[in-house]
Amino acid sequence: MKPRIAVFSLTSCEGCSLAILELEDQLLEILGAVDIVNFREGMTERSWDIDVAFVDGAVSTPHDEEEIRRIRERCRTLVAIGACACLGGVNTLKHDPARPDYRCVVYGDRADWFPTTRARPLSAVVKVDAELPGCPMVKEEFLELVRCLLNGRQFRLPPNPVCTECKKLGNPCLYERGEFCLGPLTRAGCRAICPSFGSVCEACRGLVDGEALRAGREVFNTQYVVPWEEVVARLRLYGAVCENAEPVAAPAAGGGS
Amino acid sequence: MSARILNRDELLRLIDEAARDRRLIGPVRRGERTFYEAADRAAELDLDGPQCVYSPKAHFFPPEETLLTFERKSRSFVTHPVRHETPTALVAVRPCEIHGIRLLDHVFGAAPADEGYLARRRATFIIALDCFRPCRDEAFCGDLGTNTAHLGFDLMIRRLSDPEEGSRGAERFELTSATEDGASLLSRAGLGRTADRADLDAVRAYERSKASAFPRRLSCEADRLPEVAQRGYTSTVWERTAARCYSCGSCNLVCPTCYCFNLRDEVSLDGKSGARVREWDGCQLREFAVVAGGHNFRAAPAERLRHRVMRKASWIAQRTGLPGCVGCGRCDRACTAKISLVEILNTLAREQDHDHAGHS
Repeated sequence: MKPRIAVFSLTSCEGCSLAILELEDQLLEILGAVDIVNFREGMTERSWDIDVAFVDGAVSTPHDEEEIRRIRERCRTLVAIGACACLGGVNTLKHDPARPDYRCVVYGDRADWFPTTRARPLSAVVKVDAELPGCPMVKEEFLELVRCLLNGRQFRLPPNPVCTECKKLGNPCLYERGEFCLGPLTRAGCRAICPSFGSVCEACRGLVDGEALRAGREVFNTQYVVPWEEVVARLRLYGAVCENAEPVAAPAAGGGS
Repeated sequence: MSARILNRDELLRLIDEAARDRRLIGPVRRGERTFYEAADRAAELDLDGPQCVYSPKAHFFPPEETLLTFERKSRSFVTHPVRHETPTALVAVRPCEIHGIRLLDHVFGAAPADEGYLARRRATFIIALDCFRPCRDEAFCGDLGTNTAHLGFDLMIRRLSDPEEGSRGAERFELTSATEDGASLLSRAGLGRTADRADLDAVRAYERSKASAFPRRLSCEADRLPEVAQRGYTSTVWERTAARCYSCGSCNLVCPTCYCFNLRDEVSLDGKSGARVREWDGCQLREFAVVAGGHNFRAAPAERLRHRVMRKASWIAQRTGLPGCVGCGRCDRACTAKISLVEILNTLAREQDHDHAGHS
């Protein structure tokens, strides 16, 4: 029997769901191998008998939280797709404690009608089986994950930073232009799409790991005039590091809230 | 075959002749930088520019290549090797890069030979371009003697007139061959003239001028490097320096002598066919030394950094008799954490001099 696949969106632009539809050349092949049973961006039918659920968006409202718990109960494998679902994404910018007025700017005097919580990745609320980070997610990586699921092979994200992809592509390094690219800190897999077009990496795929962050702090504190705080601020854009957290601090003891 | 002397116009015609039945690859200018890229005619190449950002390694050993495809047939798999070899003229390869290619030849040529690499290598006609001056501050080829090459190419160009002096019309280039293919092209093309006494004087002046033009950056002699590296095995320099290593592997991937790779299989949606792909790997990457079961033999950045320096300064030379580092300086330039191979080697040499002074 073909695996039953569903795609859901929480707080997000749903661009990652659309990225699935952009796999135009492979779409028929995918549809031959799986049944898509619930996909707001692509069809009207709805089913809740699901093998693999792909979810984009952050958990950012009480409704999102109910929704993701319900999805988790109804599927066997839960895959977070995109920066919002994997890191919280740009939604985490609302955590900036200096700007409590954001909601009022958007919703005016009816802000209370739209309760929000802190924007969190899916993994902060439910168990997640795989993550496909990026803004948007990399559709080729989605395809690779589907291939792995169908063939019973293990899927892994690249364990290396974006620099490896720039070097393989033969890109000139943006640091030579005096720009501060987040590539050395960020997980590869995007084929270095931003540096390839001359823009610095903004870490939408999240940190490659904590070790790179420790190295980054040492590098910026000893080798560059750019303050490390500025680098951290830029890492916050997609939630690669959390607000206020000195990123590599040891986990708080006790775990009480 | 003796040297021939060509002017610039004749040199370009010679390159075009070499590329008559071959694809032409050489330094193409993009802004302030040059890259080894395909060109239609020699006139499009920048023969006067800086060292290319990347070495020509990728031409022989691509960053990613399909080695074979496979498909399921009833109960077994059928494999089909994939070979890519296009006759190519690779032009203006610098001496340090020639030394890098010689090491790759040794590694991929040793049994079991890498037929894909060798096929590409055989299909490539190499025209080297000697360096009159160091190409950039990071280079230390002068210390290692890799700023000059005598074999590993088909033809070698030496620019006998300083490009900054005189007009282009007065330029003289000396062409020598190191292979029969090179000699045959040179005589078939019949360009330029044989070197006369004045040319030989110019060659001697060129060599004298070149010898004094390359500054020494290493504080110890090149032949002491293996010993300096080995004795520095327990130095604190590894921990101190690796504190800022991102483990991004850029130093590996830009290195003309790094040849490590990873293999992965790509399988189709229905699992009935696929491809085996080879991609560049590097010993500075965090998972390079992870083995089945998950153990990482070099989990700490300091261990990885030491491993790279040991290989470049000592182990490769011991195993192959060829330089493990060609002094091109690309690793230092590529490191956004500003970790410098030369600085590490000089630190080790200094520490050992101090130790020695302390004990005597």
